[in-house]
Amino acid sequence: MANTTNTNYGNQMLSSRIGRGFRQLMGDSSGVMTFIGLILLSLFVLMAIFAPYISPYSPVEPSGAPLLSPQWGHIMGTTNLGYDVFSRFIWGSRMALLIAVIATSIAAFIGIPTGLLVGYAGGVTDRIVTMIMDSVYTFPGLILAIAIAAMLGPGVLNISLSIAVVYIPTYYRVIRSQVSTIKSELYVEGARSIGAKNMTIIGKYILPNVLPSTIVVLSMNIADAVMTEAGLSFLGLGIPPPVPDWGYDLAKGQQFLLQNDWWMVVFPGIAIILLVLGFSMFAEGMDEYLNPNIGEKR
Amino acid sequence: MKTYILTRILLAIPMILIILTIIFFVLRILPGNPVMALLGPKAPPEVVKAMEHQMGLDKPIIVQYGDYLGSILKGDFGVSAYTGVTVIQELMQKFPATLELTIFAMTIAVFIGIFFGTYGAYHFGRTLDIAARVYSIFVYSFPVFWFGIMLQLIFGVWLHWLPVSGRSSPFMIPNHIYTGLYVIDSILNLEWPVLVDTLYHLILPSVTLGVVISSIFVRMVRSNVILSLSSQYVVAARARGAKEKKVIFKHALKNAMAPILTIMGLEFALLLGGAVLTEVTFSWPGIGSYLVTRITYRDFPAIQGAIVFFAMFVAIVSILVDIANAWLDPRVRY
Repeated sequence: MANTTNTNYGNQMLSSRIGRGFRQLMGDSSGVMTFIGLILLSLFVLMAIFAPYISPYSPVEPSGAPLLSPQWGHIMGTTNLGYDVFSRFIWGSRMALLIAVIATSIAAFIGIPTGLLVGYAGGVTDRIVTMIMDSVYTFPGLILAIAIAAMLGPGVLNISLSIAVVYIPTYYRVIRSQVSTIKSELYVEGARSIGAKNMTIIGKYILPNVLPSTIVVLSMNIADAVMTEAGLSFLGLGIPPPVPDWGYDLAKGQQFLLQNDWWMVVFPGIAIILLVLGFSMFAEGMDEYLNPNIGEKR
Repeated sequence: MKTYILTRILLAIPMILIILTIIFFVLRILPGNPVMALLGPKAPPEVVKAMEHQMGLDKPIIVQYGDYLGSILKGDFGVSAYTGVTVIQELMQKFPATLELTIFAMTIAVFIGIFFGTYGAYHFGRTLDIAARVYSIFVYSFPVFWFGIMLQLIFGVWLHWLPVSGRSSPFMIPNHIYTGLYVIDSILNLEWPVLVDTLYHLILPSVTLGVVISSIFVRMVRSNVILSLSSQYVVAARARGAKEKKVIFKHALKNAMAPILTIMGLEFALLLGGAVLTEVTFSWPGIGSYLVTRITYRDFPAIQGAIVFFAMFVAIVSILVDIANAWLDPRVRY
């Protein structure tokens, strides 16, 4: 339909935009970008894995007086219930990463095979499925996720599912468009002429060629899922308290904003931003490494 | 032109139908029975039955689907289970607030985008350009609600310059409501204090949403202006001795506008998602806040109405943008 310039990974993906911006900015030194992204990422992954060992206090039990400002012992202060903000900052990475990874896996698990099969089949099926996917794609993703999350109710799997639905079309579009060009390549025709079955062609000749971009979309998608999850839990549709969750903490902190308790809202936001930036930079670096000919220069 | 508009509208119909079907599926077939949600899990079965009958939920699913499409066509979204008022009436009352916010946010985003993007392109590779690019990367990674809270903290709590929530101060509502857009109504009523109060309340929410969206515009304007700056007509204009300002704004920017308009249309869905978050952050009484509040009350007809309304809004705007685009750029044809 509309022209989508050179964007390969769906123009609604925020991580693709952030990443591309970084790549343009860094120019030849985009290796630095990938490296910074990787460091940020590993930091959060390590934080999530070793949360029980790193966090100074329990994230769900009072560890001091309520609403302490940042100070020695509570470097990010405490919440209205006396929870340590720094501990919740660390533990929050668990929820964020867990839901993002599950949501991304579900979306990929549905979107990629659909894209492969439909792209390969072509014809009327292709038109119909693409139209359905495009309709979902043009609808505001967050609002769709809100509707599904509201109906399914809280829970890790339910939230992941509602986020996943939003991103299925992204995978579908990327894969389908690649498959429809690859399937007319000479080597695919060659395979067909020597009598390869359709499934063999898809599995052996097409899939390996679309896999690199799939990896890029996966890591970009995680960043977007982190953002959507934060939005949902900010609206009260995420994991019920007291489970540490950045979006929920932000909403809670806002209630105490008028008392100038800035530490409750500044730090969870920074966590979301850093994680999103990390994934975006890393994904863009991967893209350059895996698909060197696709990138938009300048 | 006429046939183009007609084709464009006809093409939108299946899209809208698909989205309505998906919404139906999400709201009716997914677990989370609206009757149980309304009455609570301990409701006696006969009451549940009666309620299901009243809401038409005991009919076959295909009949329910037909009823659903039929009532949407008639603009009938049912009656709110929470207030007892028809949903369409509530939506119409909330819509101007959302519209006012999105118009102001879009204006701010486009303004920042054109200004920063054009200058960035003109100073390609120099400090201003790099500043524009860093801006667009970082601002884009801000969660809308977090950025809104930060502005509330700085301009509301620390500096006391601006109100942090709501659409107007008490008793500062236009006397006569014509459009529901307070800015326009207060001007029509010649109520200047009301206008000032309205604008005061509008600043933070629309800046929040506008700035986050603007990062895309900065990027798009920049790359389009770079393209047109290197084109033949710019070279020709310069050769004729046109002033630099005229070259930038009249020749380069004007020719870069058509793709920017397309992007505005594509970004609209994103803007609406952001609007929901912004409205909740600033207690802005629009459809986004309405949707989120009614979710907590499990007000099923209201939830469905709000989501269908958003879907229609996106569809209409995308049609309008395409028509505007065809009108601006005669080369656009199906």
